[in-house]
Amino acid sequence: MTIWRKQSAWFMLVAFLVLVLAACAPGAGSEDTSSESEGSDSEGSSESGGDGEISGELEIQYFVGGYGDSWWKEVIGDFKEKYPDVTITEHAGPNINEEMRSRWVSDDPPDVVYIDGAGSSETQMVEDGQLMNLTEWMNGIELEDGTPLNESFIVDPAKYDGDVYSLPLVFDTWGTWYDSAWFDEKGWDVPKDFPGFMDTMGQIKQEEDIAPFVTTGQYPYYFLRGMLYPAFGAAGGDELLNKVIKGEEGAWTSEPVLNVMKKVEQMQKEGYIDPGFGALNHTQSQMNFLMHDNAFIPVGFWLPNEMEKDTPEDFQYGFIPSPMQDEGEPYAIVPDLRPLAIAEKAENPEAAKAFVEFVFTKEYAKLFSEHTGAIMNLQGVDLASSEEVPQFLIEANKMINDPDQVQIYQKPHPMSSNLETPISNSLVSLMLGNITAEEFVEEAEKAASEYRSNLE
Amino acid sequence: MVQSKKQRNLFLAFCLVPTFLMFSVFTLYPLFNGLYYSFFEWSGASSLAEFVGFDNYKRLLNDEIIPLTILHDYFLVVTKVIGIMILATFFAVALTQMKIKEAPFYRIVFFFPNIMSVVVIGILWMFIYNPSLGLVNSGLEFIGLESWTRPWLGSEDWALPSLVLPSVWAGIGLFMLMLMGGISNISKSYYEAAEIDGATEWQQFWKVTLPLIWPQIKISILYIIITTLNGSFIIVQVMTKGGPNNSTHVMGSYLYEQAFVKYNFGYGATIGVMILILSLITVLIMQFFMRREKVEY
Repeated sequence: MTIWRKQSAWFMLVAFLVLVLAACAPGAGSEDTSSESEGSDSEGSSESGGDGEISGELEIQYFVGGYGDSWWKEVIGDFKEKYPDVTITEHAGPNINEEMRSRWVSDDPPDVVYIDGAGSSETQMVEDGQLMNLTEWMNGIELEDGTPLNESFIVDPAKYDGDVYSLPLVFDTWGTWYDSAWFDEKGWDVPKDFPGFMDTMGQIKQEEDIAPFVTTGQYPYYFLRGMLYPAFGAAGGDELLNKVIKGEEGAWTSEPVLNVMKKVEQMQKEGYIDPGFGALNHTQSQMNFLMHDNAFIPVGFWLPNEMEKDTPEDFQYGFIPSPMQDEGEPYAIVPDLRPLAIAEKAENPEAAKAFVEFVFTKEYAKLFSEHTGAIMNLQGVDLASSEEVPQFLIEANKMINDPDQVQIYQKPHPMSSNLETPISNSLVSLMLGNITAEEFVEEAEKAASEYRSNLE
Repeated sequence: MVQSKKQRNLFLAFCLVPTFLMFSVFTLYPLFNGLYYSFFEWSGASSLAEFVGFDNYKRLLNDEIIPLTILHDYFLVVTKVIGIMILATFFAVALTQMKIKEAPFYRIVFFFPNIMSVVVIGILWMFIYNPSLGLVNSGLEFIGLESWTRPWLGSEDWALPSLVLPSVWAGIGLFMLMLMGGISNISKSYYEAAEIDGATEWQQFWKVTLPLIWPQIKISILYIIITTLNGSFIIVQVMTKGGPNNSTHVMGSYLYEQAFVKYNFGYGATIGVMILILSLITVLIMQFFMRREKVEY
């Protein structure tokens, strides 16, 4: 008894001390950080230009995910041959973003960074001033055949107040996958628009007694990016997409957004969305899809590569842009770009620029498709002539380049996770049938207004 | 042998100084650092940090998800304390008093979850709850209760209660052993005396066993509270990531989401301070309520 009393007295004392010290701490510390941040603004940006020798150490950070790393190895090998004076240090792997975080925090970043995968955020890096402004430099670069680089992208670089901080390297896009062998066998129609989508799903539900549509509930942004962005693009073009991603006032409660959400509500009410999706992570949902527990799933181009080992032999990947558009309209896609960037505090900016310039060629673009099953963000690359490029990609590439079939809409930049997370949460609720489309848009609008007020 | 005072102090210093240094570096420093960063707006991924005073704390008070996370945490605390203590006491009494021949076997079986990592437990139970292949739904279908099947972890109403079962299951073993230790220290003569006086087994439990193992029960309850407030994060993160629609977020998982998913490290640190304060208050309150004179017969 008394022992406990004594101990709790100690406990209180320590707790009290903790609070007192906490109150003192920030005054002393705030000076440090403010002077640090001033320093970081003034450095680095003045070092552009100059034709000095390319040499020294070049550090490259790249995430290794669904695309693998064989393309990187080949490109880096070629770069070393061309610039023998440069020693390249690779920081690569599936957790590289976490592993390199302390380097970025301590202002000692690698020179070149490929921004992709969990734990990386282009918007965060731009907001924190970690990336070099490439606007001017990019305008001076030409491809081998003399066309300027900035006219050769399929999708233009993301712009933050008109400035470019990263060059989109990988052109990926979300869409809806199905097993084309299974569809052929059963004679189901591949949907061409939303009414067709609903018809096919109804037929599948009836014949197979399964919920035809699945996605991951643990990462609801798969549905947001894979189904809703194209739907918003089709409904209101780049303008609507822009407003929605920036969380502008009234964007989420607007008529076209509500109509799209009503379509989602309809899918839920008809029982087309797998009621168990809420707990699934992306791999589980993809496994269910491969096992024919479901017939449609929204994922990006990396799906076949990611699930290579688990794909049944008679399974044939079929890809269509997510069919959320009204009857008779072309499909809509919203590309998802994985950019290459140079650190604001790169120690070897010359070599970094040389590397980025080296990578953007049609030769490496073709090589990229062969290695990864995705497309590099350059126009006019002849994929059909290569035997190593997967069939679905050749067809998708053809479709994407045919404006009668597919309209490409561009988002200004990725949605900030401060807005994406609350919206995704409400989205799960809507897809489980716990709230209505009207309630969803209200919640999303509220999230957007909170997001705006936190930006100020 | 007579020790000089100097020798004694030297020995004490030898024992205490390294420990204190370790404690300072690995416990006090991170603690104060967390407090320090709770006054900054910092993404946690760059060197830019802006001092914002109490803004993060204001935000904490206006955040609608925070009360939910606190509620979820205390829901887990209450259900875990009740579930674990009842089952652990029951098993401990059964294994020590009932003279079951296979007692050592059961002791190992019940303790087994404790040597498994919580991450493994979480993944295991995800399979058990799987809506199409899982044991729970298949079991319900097998006994004809098809209307009871549901996507347990995927439902906003059922996800949080579904987390209680694995947490309880994982916790029983350790506390069962603690209580068994307490029970085996009770002298047999008390039970013999009680029996001669005509006390039933039930009465023996309430009048003899329970009062004499009260210290162990008290420590167990405090321990469950502390580990739940600090550690429920793991099972949530593994099994649901706080979803669907925040219905399973506890304070720890919400902290993680803010600090490492949404890049609001400063705000995450503020949530950490809240967890610390709430844990301290809870433990102090529980100390007060469970005050009970030590019984000796």
